[in-house]
Order: sequence, then C-alpha cells, then structure tokens
Amino acid sequence: MSIDEPSLARLMAASQRGDRAAYRALLSDSGKWLARYFARRIAPHQIDDLVQETLVSVHRKLATWDSSRPFLPWLAAIARYRWIDLLRRQRDEVELGEGDAAVGAEDEVVHARLSLDRMLARLPAGQAQAITLVKIEGASIAEASQICGQSESLVKVNIHRGLKKLAQLIESE
Amino acid sequence: MTNGSIDNLIEDLAGELEPVRPRRLMRGSLWVAGGWLVGAALLLLAAGPRHDLADGAMMPPLPLLAFWLIVALGFAAAWSALRMGLPGVGRDYSGWRWAGLAALALPFSAVVMALSDGHAAMDAAHPENGMHCLAQGVFAGLGVGAALFAWLKGGAPTSPTRAGCVIGIAAGAAGATIVALHCASNDMIHIALWHGLAVMLSGVAGRVLLAPLLRW
Repeated sequence: MSIDEPSLARLMAASQRGDRAAYRALLSDSGKWLARYFARRIAPHQIDDLVQETLVSVHRKLATWDSSRPFLPWLAAIARYRWIDLLRRQRDEVELGEGDAAVGAEDEVVHARLSLDRMLARLPAGQAQAITLVKIEGASIAEASQICGQSESLVKVNIHRGLKKLAQLIESE
Repeated sequence: MTNGSIDNLIEDLAGELEPVRPRRLMRGSLWVAGGWLVGAALLLLAAGPRHDLADGAMMPPLPLLAFWLIVALGFAAAWSALRMGLPGVGRDYSGWRWAGLAALALPFSAVVMALSDGHAAMDAAHPENGMHCLAQGVFAGLGVGAALFAWLKGGAPTSPTRAGCVIGIAAGAAGATIVALHCASNDMIHIALWHGLAVMLSGVAGRVLLAPLLRW
C-alpha cells in the first residue's frame, strides 16, 4: 500500500474521533514511513527502537495535529524530536562513560552515513572524528583515543560537545 | 526489536485509543487572554491604575508608544508560543523576533536620552526607583506565563528551550503592559530599563526553569 498524504490525513482525522481500525492502519503506515526516515539518520540497530518510541509519542500527542494542515510534516516533527532526544541520550551516555554496540558494514549503514556525513561535516574535525569512531563505528573510548591521538577525556568531551552541536543543527534545520 | 514487537505495540496503542479533542489555537488564545486579565486584575486592584488613566485622560505620547511596542512583542511572542504547541516541519515560529527587534527601539532611545542627561539617567537607574516595577512586571505576567506553559505542556513543542524562552518573553511583556497601566512614570529611561528588564528576566527564567519541564 502506498503511503500518501491524503490517505494518512483521513486516517488521522478518523483516529482523533476514536476509530481504532483507522488508527491501526495509520500507525502501521507511519511505522513504515518512520523506518525509512530514520534509516538515513541513525545506525540500523537503533531504528526499530526509535520507530517504537516515536509511535508512542504519536499516541500521546494525537490531539496536537491540526486537521487543516498536512499530516506528514506533523509526523516528521515528532520523529525529528525523538531523533534529537536520542542524540541527547547518547551525549549523556558519554558523560556516564557507557559504550555503544558496534555496527556492521551493511548497505543500510552506508545510507545512514550519507545523511550523517552531511551533518558531521558542519562540526569541528575533532568532534566529528570522535563521534564517527565511537558512535557510528562502535570503537571504545580507549580505541578511539589511540586511533585519533586524542586523550580519552578529550574524546569524551568532543563526543559530548559534538552531539550537543548536532542536536542544535538538526533543531535549526 | 523486530517487526513483531512493533505490531504488538500498534495493537496495544490501538486498544487504548479514545477520541481526542484536537487542540485549537483559539482555545489557547482564550487561556492567554484569561491569564492577562487575572494578572491585570490582581495588580490594578492591589496597586491601582495610573492617575491620568484613572481620571479618564490619555497617556503621554512616548509612554503610549512604549506601551504599544511592548503589547506587540507580547502578542507576537504569545502567538509564536501557542503555535509551537502544534508541531510541523517547515512551520515558522520566529514571528516574535521581529516584534522583539522593533521593541529594541526602547533601550536605544533610552541610551540616547541618557547620554544627553546623565544625571537624570543615574536617578532613573537607581534600584529604589524601579525595583518595584520590575517585581510587579514579573508577577503580573505569571498569569500569561502559566496559561502558555499549560498549553505547551499538553502540546508538543519540538524545541523546549526556545519554547521556554518565548513563554518567558510573552509573560514578561504581558506583565510590562500591565505595569504600564499602573506605573505613573513617563520617563523613557525608567520604562526601557525597569519595564524592559521584566521582559528580559522573564525570558531568561523561562528558558532556564521551563525548558526541562517542557520535554516530552
């Protein structure tokens, strides 16, 4: 089934009136749209979790869609907020010293990187390198420190500052 | 996570669905108007209106101009804050900045006046002559601030930091308009400094205090 704006807007309007069948169809289509949206923005192993978090936010914020406006920009705003929230949580994890799982070199990774690379290019080189090594390629802080020649604490600071800047860049887009 | 767990989640969410009342900007605007009226009633009942207004006369031109500039800032900031509660990629929430730029005419004018009469400026800047206006302005704006906070708490602001700041500016500007109906001073330096400070202080407070509470 194609996911088109008028159909989604109709389903959303019916969902706001309490139509559960329409809501089920809306969430299913939204889930597919979100998976594609996040595929260009985050590592593949995080996509399903973020889709679920976003669907829960859609459920909680159902009343904030204005039926006189298109649905997809509303869904994209919710998705972008959850994405920024994920970046913030990753930044906090760095502060706590937690690592992240490594990501395999699959085709999806390349797509995620295309979008991320554009954003990372707007960060200072040290921050972009630290984020790339630890958050995308799955290196530990110690390994990243050896590879890029920064001290471990500088790697953490660069990830922290870089993710903060990244969240600001996305918010302002 | 698998597609199966997403399907289960969708089933759970659909099972919980109840009809919702879509949020309308008009309803939020009425909350804000109510907040302004409560703030104005409390301050004017406690402290009374300006003497000239109480006598049925008009404000002098410059304080009147300052009043309408601050009204415009308050309207623009409140409208932007209300719209922030209904998200959408591509929507522009920056209208309040233009009103904010126009309102900068007040401090610029005050600086020019202060340069020409330093003694009067020092007198107007003395805390004894203005702290009460600052406190009253912040206090009188709490009604509008509470209304906007309640609106955005139930909404979906995608930048809580900016939303908190804009709520504060709207509340401070609302408070400054209420104080302008009470404060008898026609001195532009006093208005720009102490009434303007209420707007700035509220903006900073909103950004610092409200932003964490607006996350969802």
